[in-house]
Amino acid sequence: MKNYDVVIIGGGSAGLAAALEVNKNGVKNILVIERDQELGGILLQCIHNGFGLKVFKEELTGPEYAERFVNMLKEEGIEFKLNSMVTKINKDKTVEYANSDEGFIQIQAKAIIITTGCYERNAGAISIPGNRPSGVLTAGTAQKYLNIDGYLVGKKVFILGSGDIGLIMARRMTLEGAEVIGVAEILPFSGGLQRNIVQCLEDYNIPLYLSHTVTEIIGKDKIEGIKVQKVDNFVPVPNTEMEFEVDALLLSVGLIPENGISEAAGIELHPRTKGPIVNESYQTNIEGVFACGNALHVHDLVDFVTTESRKAGEKAAKYVKGEYKDNVERINLVAKNGISYIVPQMVSSENVDKTIELFMRVTDVYKNVEFVIKQDGKELKRIKKKHLAPAEMEKVILTKSQIEGANKEITIEVEAL
Amino acid sequence: MYDVLIIGSGITGACISREMSKYQAKTIIIEKENDVAQKATLANSAIVHSGHDPIPGTLKAKFNILGNRMYKQMSEELDIPLMECGGLVVATTLEEEKTLDMLYARAFENGLKKSEVKLLTKDEVKEKEPNISDHVTKALSLPSTSVTYPLEAAIANIENAMNNGVELATNEEVISIVKNKEHFEVFTKRNKYEAKVVINASGINAENISKMIAKTNFTISPRKGEYYVLDKDVTLVNSVIYPTPSEKGKGVLVTPQYHGNTLLGPTSEFVENDTESTTKKGLDYIKVNIEKTVTNIPYNKIIRSFAGSRPTPSTKDFIIEESNIKGFINVAGIESPGLTAAPAIARYVVEGIVANNIDLVENKNFNPYRKKVIRMNELSDEEKNELYKRDSRFANIICRCESITEGEIIEAIHRNCGATTVTGVKNRVRAGAGRCQGGFCQPEVLKILARELKIDPMEVLYSKKDSAILKAKTKGE
Repeated sequence: MKNYDVVIIGGGSAGLAAALEVNKNGVKNILVIERDQELGGILLQCIHNGFGLKVFKEELTGPEYAERFVNMLKEEGIEFKLNSMVTKINKDKTVEYANSDEGFIQIQAKAIIITTGCYERNAGAISIPGNRPSGVLTAGTAQKYLNIDGYLVGKKVFILGSGDIGLIMARRMTLEGAEVIGVAEILPFSGGLQRNIVQCLEDYNIPLYLSHTVTEIIGKDKIEGIKVQKVDNFVPVPNTEMEFEVDALLLSVGLIPENGISEAAGIELHPRTKGPIVNESYQTNIEGVFACGNALHVHDLVDFVTTESRKAGEKAAKYVKGEYKDNVERINLVAKNGISYIVPQMVSSENVDKTIELFMRVTDVYKNVEFVIKQDGKELKRIKKKHLAPAEMEKVILTKSQIEGANKEITIEVEAL
Repeated sequence: MYDVLIIGSGITGACISREMSKYQAKTIIIEKENDVAQKATLANSAIVHSGHDPIPGTLKAKFNILGNRMYKQMSEELDIPLMECGGLVVATTLEEEKTLDMLYARAFENGLKKSEVKLLTKDEVKEKEPNISDHVTKALSLPSTSVTYPLEAAIANIENAMNNGVELATNEEVISIVKNKEHFEVFTKRNKYEAKVVINASGINAENISKMIAKTNFTISPRKGEYYVLDKDVTLVNSVIYPTPSEKGKGVLVTPQYHGNTLLGPTSEFVENDTESTTKKGLDYIKVNIEKTVTNIPYNKIIRSFAGSRPTPSTKDFIIEESNIKGFINVAGIESPGLTAAPAIARYVVEGIVANNIDLVENKNFNPYRKKVIRMNELSDEEKNELYKRDSRFANIICRCESITEGEIIEAIHRNCGATTVTGVKNRVRAGAGRCQGGFCQPEVLKILARELKIDPMEVLYSKKDSAILKAKTKGE
């Protein structure tokens, strides 16, 4: 069995950044396993720009952003395998994968970083009543057909859900000559970034129907139309039906971290993030197994994925070098009123150098509020926030001493001003 | 000229075709859809029932018991998935307990053996099924209940029949049937077929087909059933959980599936046209009724919902008889327990009715075995690598949720009765049947289909006739 110090599962934005950081920290025996025929992950199909503003201070397309990392990986001589699917990881940190060059292979790792990304919630999960004709696709699948393979899946399109991929696809399909009739969002606010609402819908006069959903799919063999209805607290309001003739319905109704192999290995997942529960070092409940990127929790910007994955890579390297302390007291980071989740979920000051960044999402849209941070119920600090929305990830920085000041937990909540 | 022409490729027609292939007769199945078994056989609970439920003396009772006893051998010969998980009919009221006692007696009357029926106390049920509702007071245990994969059962029968000489024609919708002196002429939208015997196994269309030529004393009404599918990482129940049946039917079941998923359903609603569409009302009905028997249902693990329609006959029993027109045989109204009964019905139809019309000479070359389907997930690492050495495509995993390889997909396309559509691939080898529902693998499956079928990607269908996925090309050659 071949041995590696760190095996990274997934060669997308998270895996590439993590691998480079492991390497930078002096651990050189690394393997990145990628299922697709190229490194880069979903970035490769995101041919629009807007990537890299934080990491590179310039605006890149997805493939350009990926290319920078892929080039660095190649320059550093980090080993990677393409067209290779990891089928299993085990508690003893053996990794099983398959490809058509080697067959079914098992390797031994000292540490594993899970960077498997996420998948799209789909028609099955949301159970729209009606038949199951062709022409109902997730926005990401339609994006792959269009940007990688060169085909349009529809010429008269409606989009359900205002997630970022749906918004991006509204613009993209319009530019390719398709008519995008509208976007319906079941919530009273958008699930995508504000800049995408402006640049992808408003600039092209595509209507966004907030508090609306698709209540029926019409058509037996192929989709012929949809019924869209206003909703009040998720319940369709009678007499508000609008019927649209369409040849495709794209779904952009959420992303779910991909954790099939993590779950099978016994990695504990968080009910809200649907990704592994991790500590300050991005380590899961299995020692030596780390997770970052969209497999950990869904990010809105790739730049955040890169930042997070660099940290996870650094910690995994420390683990291999014996510089990471696993058996230490940890306090919990608890999401309270108005906060949906906090990542990481627990922290030990022993593994924190000076500060730690906490990522979180809020449960609702808020204006002029404060984040209230408490140590064991005792107020530590307040941070004013002009505008908060579930679609926009929030960041709070804690110092080592602030963590040391808590015995049991640090809580964060939203309070009206 | 065919000896026997079978209309319909559901589980009934499929089993009849295989039964016919045991004889030196020229047999063909014609199917309206572009793939086999697309109606009731595709969308049902997948249960091989024990035979406790049908009213004694009916054809349903007779063929249910006979069919149940044939399934194991059939599944071994044809490599059809079969999970011998047992079933529990659970009671929640004194009234229902009385019905259970009645069913207990009925089970024996129908011919079940002592070892195949047992009454369980609440505690015994709870021990077998931790997620059973606290309302449950008693249960009837039926260990001879199994779960199969109905579509594969139909495909396996047809594939084996084809390997033994039977023909299959899809996209052939029958529009009229006439009888000349000695034989039938069956007209489809595209062709004319001549046959000495015609078997009407056309499911919800059986009444219409029969009326084309024969005196028809029955009606067939589509009775829709809607279902939810839970992700395969959920183990909700170990056996099939039936509520106590009522006049409305078997009720809303919780059924573990062979591939690890769990089905919740069905509903039961007579419909006119919308035979395959799910409704908010139906899906809500499932949620309300399921809680009576099973708790802790993880609704966030729903990966799909679907609906199908059973062909419910006005006679309340299977219709298996030669019509007033000699040689025209109706096998109609094969609703539940039709999946179970099908192999027994097929044997009776061929030996008991077809044999009266034409001379059946044994086919000495009949091979009862279907070439085993390669299911990589069920193999050891050594076996996987053996296959990989033979063909490296068996190590190229296309569907990540279900770990389905390119090799398995190609096999599913090229076997007899092979897949021609994206859904056909999914229904045969489960590429796209997992939690992402094909989000990642559909474009890959589409490319494989185009390559293997030697068609343009734009011509690859999602499922039915007019269902191409790609609408326009944006890049030049």
